[in-house]
Amino acid sequence: MATAAHLPAHVLADPEHILVREVDKTYPGAAARALDDIDLVVRRGEFVSLIGPSGCGKSTLLRALAGLEPIDTGSITIYGATPREACSQKAVGLVPQTPALLPWLTVRQNVALPGKVNRAATKRRIHRQGMGVPALGRTDPDELLDLVGLADKGGAYPGELSGGMQQRVAIARAFGLEPDVLLMDEPFSALDEFTREAMRLHLLSLWQRMQTTVVFVTHSVREAVTLSDRVVVMSARPGRIHELVDVDLPRPRDHEVLAGPGLHVVEDRVRDSLQRAWDSGAVPSDLVPA
Amino acid sequence: MAVVTALRPRSVPRSAAASRDRTPMPRLPAAVRPSVWGPTVIALVLAGIAWQAVAAGNPYILPRLPEVGTALAGNPLLFLSNAWATLQIALIGLFFGFVAAFLLAVLTSEFVVLRRAIMPLASVLNVTPVVALAPGLVVAFGFGMAPKVIVTAIITFFPVLANVSTGLRSVQGPVLDVFHTLQASRLEVLGRLRIPSAMPYTIAALRVTLPLSVVGAVVAEFVAAGSSTGLGTVIKTSAASSQLAQMYAAITCLALLGVLMLAVVTVLERRLLFWHESQQRRR
Repeated sequence: MATAAHLPAHVLADPEHILVREVDKTYPGAAARALDDIDLVVRRGEFVSLIGPSGCGKSTLLRALAGLEPIDTGSITIYGATPREACSQKAVGLVPQTPALLPWLTVRQNVALPGKVNRAATKRRIHRQGMGVPALGRTDPDELLDLVGLADKGGAYPGELSGGMQQRVAIARAFGLEPDVLLMDEPFSALDEFTREAMRLHLLSLWQRMQTTVVFVTHSVREAVTLSDRVVVMSARPGRIHELVDVDLPRPRDHEVLAGPGLHVVEDRVRDSLQRAWDSGAVPSDLVPA
Repeated sequence: MAVVTALRPRSVPRSAAASRDRTPMPRLPAAVRPSVWGPTVIALVLAGIAWQAVAAGNPYILPRLPEVGTALAGNPLLFLSNAWATLQIALIGLFFGFVAAFLLAVLTSEFVVLRRAIMPLASVLNVTPVVALAPGLVVAFGFGMAPKVIVTAIITFFPVLANVSTGLRSVQGPVLDVFHTLQASRLEVLGRLRIPSAMPYTIAALRVTLPLSVVGAVVAEFVAAGSSTGLGTVIKTSAASSQLAQMYAAITCLALLGVLMLAVVTVLERRLLFWHESQQRRR
């Protein structure tokens, strides 16, 4: 298990890794820690999923990575920068659970929005002070919409689209930032199973093309295994990392890979791990009233 | 049960009747379909008959409708010029009330200190009957337009403040999260997110305050002694001289002004809120 504690010092300022070191967080008034001694290393270009029962802190960890949630102790660095610094370079893309589009803007304007907001950060990004690769600035909204299969919807308003299409717009918007890390918080959880299936494939092809680092929160084992290089299994109360499961399936994950037996082997491993995580003292007194 | 079945014509099964209704006949727009305007017209006619019945027995309380019509037709310029005077006061007052309330809503939503300082005062202003303030304002600002505009502005102020304040705080968490990861400035969050999100609330405020502004103007004309123009003045003077037909003619003009204002709001709503759920056609 690769944890930050075992890494040599020079890696800690490494522009090639996202490092989460000994992070604790307790919500005010909560009985258990939301995050308890979390250590995690994510390589640049990796696709990592966080999975676990509700209350395991997966969303909290994601929000902490986005700089939206303060942590009590420990440190989080994104390619050597704090989450806040990374955000000030527009290096962090966020896809929340709901599409969070602006209904008064067209789909095209929504996708172009991140470029319009905080222009100073865009300029900083071009010089990329210590953040690794400079942004390429090839973020034509129509091209992005084409990549998510919505080339003909640029002039439509979000209210005219289905839930799945709206979430695709949100994904195109996040990729349009060319973020160094894309944080996705159960982005497909509100969609029906068929749409989810199609969305995973859309996301896979987009990721294959854009080569972005992705941290993906989900509660679907199938989703985690289909998409990820590694699955982080978490346990609840306190929120801990229980196990890291490597997904040794070939890329690209085409139909053959996803229909093959290898997928099920990894799925079973993740399921077993989740079961053990649940058993490991996670049945909480605060969940079941005495 | 037997009675019910007997009432339904056996020769036409229900499904056939239903499908006949759904045949793609070119549907008329809602406004010209009798099923849409029919009930309204019937209610209007009934109200008119009731009016006439009362007026016939009590000519000194209620004028007959034709008399009101004659009064309107007899001196249209009187009503037009006075309606214009009232409309001016209403709109100028609304403009100042609206702008002040909107700015204050933005300021109080951005700065907690200001919210705590101003909101209690605004609430007190809201529950104070403005009619009670009007004589004082006339004393302070003299005769002419100023006190009337101020009364109208005060009346329209609070609904705008309350609605817009709610609207500015109605932004959804996930959208704010996206803006925060982009480190958008407060001004950007305000301009690109909060103010557009508040648009439905702002229009709702206008729906209330546009007709309310006419109320404000008329009340001000009632109170301001020596007021020489405006429909409120016409009503006051004709009531004093028992010219009932002229008084009700002026009231009719006021009603028409109100309808006009609602029409303006509806047009604005269609233009500005085309994206909002309230304007989406049912699919």
